[in-house]
Amino acid sequence: MSVVEIDDLQKSYGSKKAVRGVSLTVEEGQIFALLGPNGAGKTTTLEILEGFRQRDAGRVSVLGFDPADRRGGREMREQIGLVLQDIAVEPYLTVRETVARNAGYYPAARDIDEVIALVGMSGKEKEKVKDLSGGQKRRLDLALGIIGNPRLLFLDEPTTGFDPSARRSAWELVRELTRLGTTILLTTHYMDEAQALADEVAVIAAGEIVARGTPETLGGRDTAKARVRFALPEGHSADELPVAVSPDGEEMVTVEADDPTEVLHQLTGWALGNNTTLPRLIVDRPSLEDVYIRLTGEGADAPQAERSMT
Amino acid sequence: MTTASAPAAQQTGRRKSTGALLVHQVRYEQLSFWRNPQSAFFTFAFPVIFFVILGAVFRTGNVYDHISGIEYYTPTITALSVIGCCYSQLAISLSLRRQTGILKRLRATPAPAWLIFGGIVIHCIILSLIDTVLIVIMSRVYGHAFPSNWGAILITLLIAAAAFCAIGVAVASLIKNADAAPAVVQFIFFPLLFISGSYFHIASKVINNIAGVFPIKPFNDALIQTFTLGKGIDGHAILVMAAWGVGGALVAIRRFRWDPRPE
Ligand SMILES: Nc1ncnc2c1ncn2[C@@H]1O[C@H](COP(=O)(O)OP(=O)(O)O)[C@@H](O)[C@H]1O
Ligand SMILES: [Mg+2]
Repeated sequence: MSVVEIDDLQKSYGSKKAVRGVSLTVEEGQIFALLGPNGAGKTTTLEILEGFRQRDAGRVSVLGFDPADRRGGREMREQIGLVLQDIAVEPYLTVRETVARNAGYYPAARDIDEVIALVGMSGKEKEKVKDLSGGQKRRLDLALGIIGNPRLLFLDEPTTGFDPSARRSAWELVRELTRLGTTILLTTHYMDEAQALADEVAVIAAGEIVARGTPETLGGRDTAKARVRFALPEGHSADELPVAVSPDGEEMVTVEADDPTEVLHQLTGWALGNNTTLPRLIVDRPSLEDVYIRLTGEGADAPQAERSMT
Repeated sequence: MTTASAPAAQQTGRRKSTGALLVHQVRYEQLSFWRNPQSAFFTFAFPVIFFVILGAVFRTGNVYDHISGIEYYTPTITALSVIGCCYSQLAISLSLRRQTGILKRLRATPAPAWLIFGGIVIHCIILSLIDTVLIVIMSRVYGHAFPSNWGAILITLLIAAAAFCAIGVAVASLIKNADAAPAVVQFIFFPLLFISGSYFHIASKVINNIAGVFPIKPFNDALIQTFTLGKGIDGHAILVMAAWGVGGALVAIRRFRWDPRPE
């Protein structure tokens, strides 16, 4: 069963077209990642699904509800959970009070202490929200997203600003939630996050879906040619090699091949025969990052996944 | 990471009753309110200190028609404190909560709008009643007898509190920037408090007629009538306040936003 269906969704802010003709389907039990750079239209799409913003055109269904129709709003919200891009929690309540308050709004809330443990906040129950760190507030926000035991969870950039270990635990939690039966639609601008988590990825750029597939097949990665790269051995020129190569950055050369076995055999045979080596030899296929950068035209300003440890 | 139980497919719970939801909501409104020392101070200490000072200075003087200072300020400062709880405090905290995204976050839960606003209004009424009791006690300390007609006083207070809450929500709906909220909120009401006789008696008929159109003077009149003169409900005053309350509610319904960023 499809949990989320979007067909030709359009949304403009004044003259700015933020979402232009997005269509996608999220199946029950999936982790679906909407991957794209800042300003691509991820939050706009998500907040239309959550009922916070009104669409200009297109068809949208969330668990069978039209989120623009407020009459079904309460029933829909009892079955979805969401974490917005910006954290917002009452400063003067404690962690446990914050979770307990929201638990009271749902007909079938999860156990409060279990949820606090699930987001790794055990031992912090009595702390006031205003005294928490940014990362802790985000985890509390996540606790609010799952306290209602949702069938469908929306996460808008759930790990932005996390240090690497906090990201790994957040990923683990997301996987745990899908094991428990929650369908998850998340947005991210981290390629590695989409790769690590998603069953299906849609890449969005400038309001349009530019590619979709599993992390393995995205942008034709699975069928792309393999690349054999190495540095020219000292004292030899490219002309002496048994296969045609193209220069690739400083000192490196590249050969592309559908199947690298033959090429590798020729190259390594040549090297051994000449009593030399192929320095820095690598065989790979385009990474998700290569595909992503090609698809979104993102270059230097793509945010880096790994941040310095704090 | 701990392992959770309850698979998401089990959605077997039942909705809480309206009453249980309201109790839940008011409880957490109260909790966040009392935890914030600043808001608690301004809501309670300010009117009480104000009353103590005015009472000390004007206690026995004749304000008008043989009404003494303490007889005059008991109702007007009570009204002032109710306005502080229901209008000023509410409008400022609501626009701040919107600006910080807390309202939007709340809107993301199944909590319906009536619950959120109902919780706020009941919370403000509770604060108003506490303020009233404090001022009546201080008034007793100054030698003024406890009022006898509590029924009329209570009805007046409830209607006024609801009306000023509605005006507070309306003003919060119109305020764009929470940083400006305290200034805007006070700017609207400060002159009105003056011409409505909250701080001193106004003898001018012209000013009284003008002030009578707005909700504060009727509130003062209604409380003076019940607190000081021991009479029943001031029907005219109640009508004026209720009309303002309905007007405020209409503006609020049309203009209220949850989202800090307009679309
Ligand atoms: N409330 C708004 N008013 C005007 N423009 C907006 C608003 N929200 C988003 N935008 C614009 O729409 C585009 C898409 O934004 P958004 O959906 O937030 O992208 P993302 O979440 O992928 O970073 C951006 O150019 C952004 O500036
Ligand atoms: Mg965004």
